[in-house]
Amino acid sequence: MKPRLTLRWIVFAVAVFVMNFPVISTLVTAFKSPGEVSRNPSLWIETPTFENFATVLTTSDRLNIYNYLWNSTVAAGIGAVLPIVVAFPLAWAIVRRGVGRAILFPLVVNLRALPLIIFAIPIYMMFSVAGLLDTRLGLGLILAVVNLPLALMLLVNAVAEIPHEIEEAAHMDGARLPRLLFRIVLPLCRPALITTFIFGFITAWNEFLFGLMLTTSKAVPMTVGASFFFATSGGGVQWGVAAAVMVVAALPPLALGLVMYRRITGSLVAGAVKG
Amino acid sequence: MASLHLEHLTKTFGNQTVTRNVSLSVEDGAFCVFVGPSGCGKSTLLRLIAGLEEASSGRIMVADRDVTKVPAYDRDLAMVFQSYALYPHMTVRDNIAFSLRTAKRPEDEVAAKIAEAARILKLEDLLDRKPAQLSGGQRQRVAIGRAIVKQPKLFLFDEPLSNLDAELRVHMRVEIARLHRDLGTTVIYVTHDQVEAMTLATKIVVLRAGEVEQVGSPLQLFDDPDNIFVAGFIGSPQMNFFKAKHQGGRLFATDFPDQSCQAPALSAALAEGQDVTVGLRPQFMGLEGNASLELMIEVVEHLGSETLVHARPPGSAQMMTALVADGRNLAPGQAFVARFDPDRLMVFDATGKRLR
Amino acid sequence: MASRQHRENALLASPLVLFLLLILGFPTVLSLIYGFSETSFETLMQPQFSGLQNFRDVLGDPTFWQAAGFSLRFGLITAVLQCALGLALAVYLAPLVRAHPWTVAILIIPMIVAPAMMGLMYRLVLHEFAGPLPHYLYQWFGWSPSFLGPAHVFKTVVLAETLQWTPFAFLLFLTAYQSIPSELREAASVDGARPLRLFWKIEWPLMLPTVFVALFIRFIDGFRVFDNIYTLVGSGPGGSTTSMSIYIYETFLRRGEIGKAMAAAILLFLTAFLLLALGQWLTRRRRP
Repeated sequence: MKPRLTLRWIVFAVAVFVMNFPVISTLVTAFKSPGEVSRNPSLWIETPTFENFATVLTTSDRLNIYNYLWNSTVAAGIGAVLPIVVAFPLAWAIVRRGVGRAILFPLVVNLRALPLIIFAIPIYMMFSVAGLLDTRLGLGLILAVVNLPLALMLLVNAVAEIPHEIEEAAHMDGARLPRLLFRIVLPLCRPALITTFIFGFITAWNEFLFGLMLTTSKAVPMTVGASFFFATSGGGVQWGVAAAVMVVAALPPLALGLVMYRRITGSLVAGAVKG
Repeated sequence: MASLHLEHLTKTFGNQTVTRNVSLSVEDGAFCVFVGPSGCGKSTLLRLIAGLEEASSGRIMVADRDVTKVPAYDRDLAMVFQSYALYPHMTVRDNIAFSLRTAKRPEDEVAAKIAEAARILKLEDLLDRKPAQLSGGQRQRVAIGRAIVKQPKLFLFDEPLSNLDAELRVHMRVEIARLHRDLGTTVIYVTHDQVEAMTLATKIVVLRAGEVEQVGSPLQLFDDPDNIFVAGFIGSPQMNFFKAKHQGGRLFATDFPDQSCQAPALSAALAEGQDVTVGLRPQFMGLEGNASLELMIEVVEHLGSETLVHARPPGSAQMMTALVADGRNLAPGQAFVARFDPDRLMVFDATGKRLR
Repeated sequence: MASRQHRENALLASPLVLFLLLILGFPTVLSLIYGFSETSFETLMQPQFSGLQNFRDVLGDPTFWQAAGFSLRFGLITAVLQCALGLALAVYLAPLVRAHPWTVAILIIPMIVAPAMMGLMYRLVLHEFAGPLPHYLYQWFGWSPSFLGPAHVFKTVVLAETLQWTPFAFLLFLTAYQSIPSELREAASVDGARPLRLFWKIEWPLMLPTVFVALFIRFIDGFRVFDNIYTLVGSGPGGSTTSMSIYIYETFLRRGEIGKAMAAAILLFLTAFLLLALGQWLTRRRRP
């Protein structure tokens, strides 16, 4: 019996339209000239133009979008890679040796549920002493904390799925711990490593609070930089330009997310159920 | 190549003793099979030898070196796992080379040994495949190849054939026997299948509940079991047992009304009125002999060369099996007088110990 | 072998432990020091011990209680709305998703957009002159509410949060729904259960644990909300959308009351910790 899908297609379309209404509106507005924005706020574009994108992608003294993009890329890169580096050895130790199962693992996993503002203030103080305020490294470090819980959880799941006999076979083949970890376990965790990286990169790219608090000019990430375009300077917000900025800012995570949606959805569910 | 000595080896998990006080000597070049029902501790014993489990007490000597406290990666043994445990991300070539590269052997030596192993195991055409692209039998051969290239002191096999289908299992059994003959390495082999044990072993260790029941060559165990467990476990079809009482040189079946047979000649005299269990192999029940049991045929299985007769004594529910050479005329419902030589009977006392 | 393993285990755990100590342990000490001290940005290096004064200040601040009330209400309402919508969509669209798996990718788009971006986008969408939504409302009904005015701003932020995160609940419920063995549904259908009865007697009970998990996760996320509200309306007209996170942020950076902000953060941590412990105790009790 084939279920009738027509009505479901309609519900799907309505749901997608309503939930994505801001995204659609922004996309449409980004292709309108300043004149058209004030005259025609509808979802219909009379004369499409790339004018706004040209403005956005032209460097100006006040706003340099390439800086923001680069800052976000570096900080999100650190924020996605560092958790994997520190969590991988522990994940193996948790699964195979039961290390930290009582305290460390639940502690890290529960970090995920805490309001980020709790960390933001003391970290602000620490960074100001350590000279890490307004640096990409400082931002990357704290984004790594944000990503740590899910990274640990996904890697623990991945290690647990490796048949124990394969590791025993490596032992019998004379492999000590380093060779076992780097030549057997790490390659077998590759899918989980990729997922963890992509998920972490998107999360880090999308983070706002730490960017807002811990950067001021040099290391401002894209999310915070985009909000600058909404600062009314004299003649109010230039909606077309602001919309184009948001399109650029949202594009990298969206592209990654859409291409890798299976990995994303899987890890989201895993993270929720285990936590 | 090496000998293996186990001395009072005991392993406990929590309050559960999995192997208890096992002492055993396996001489250089032997093919030693650990056999027993599931849960008898045979796999644990193998893992203790491998170094994958740590002994609770006792000693393990490989080639007269005490390895009890040596980690698995330093024992210089090789193991073939039940699930093959091939490295899924490596090609067959890299799987086989892994132990050699771990030992940092020169690449030309590695290449030579891989070629040699591939030739012996007919893996030449598969060297660049990944394990996922291989059939069960091919994976099995790769696992063996991985074991032989390191020229270990001992080969350990953990139920290596149990994931193969029946036909392939017979084929690989022959392969392993041939390999042992060619390489001469000492083999420790775990299985729950007594046919595998009988066909492969030069020495069988029968285990039950973590303890050694009997050690011996296949025919020793078949002809001369120490107790009722070994007698029942070794041999196919399984030995027939029935309860009996000894009176005046005859054994009176307790559960079969009005049947008795002459007792075998034993060095230790049976007491008058002693309750015993009598065992008789199906192979020794036939159409000739001085003693007999009267049975009714229930099921007849014609195997072609022989006939397997399932029958029970009138008035009893206990089934007996006979393997008859010429049984083409037998049919269910017929009376069947199973004849045998009384000296073929085995007698066990109430504790299950064989009376000889 | 045991002592070698201990050394290895310590080595394996050390990168993460050191990282946590450095990035979270040290700041924790700082926040305890400053939480119990009198400081400003000018005297950052000379905190004066002031006992519980900061905590008294926070607890005596009506804005703090307003923020706490806002966060609780916001978390509860958005969690319930998202789960209801997500569940309905998941159950209804499951056959569509099974036939065309890519539809999931489209449905989760809102989640991949940064919440801060989403807040900014709503500023455009709801703008009186440039926004499409007021435009269409005027065109069709000749009237549009003041979305960000005092009367409607709470509803607006609740709606924005709900529409962005309903896909998350949807995804959880979809997975739970798809993991119900189809034999179970077929058996119930053969027994004569119609779709509605099938849902209430078979699917709903099996999905109930997921409902609790989803409610809890979404509540925690709503409770700690910052990004999208901050970029959309800031603290709102008359501070009406000041969440706990926004309250602490403003106390710290806008007003420079470091000790008070720290004290509020410690209180928020304790609250979140209690909620978390409560949530985990409840879910653990449900599956013995």
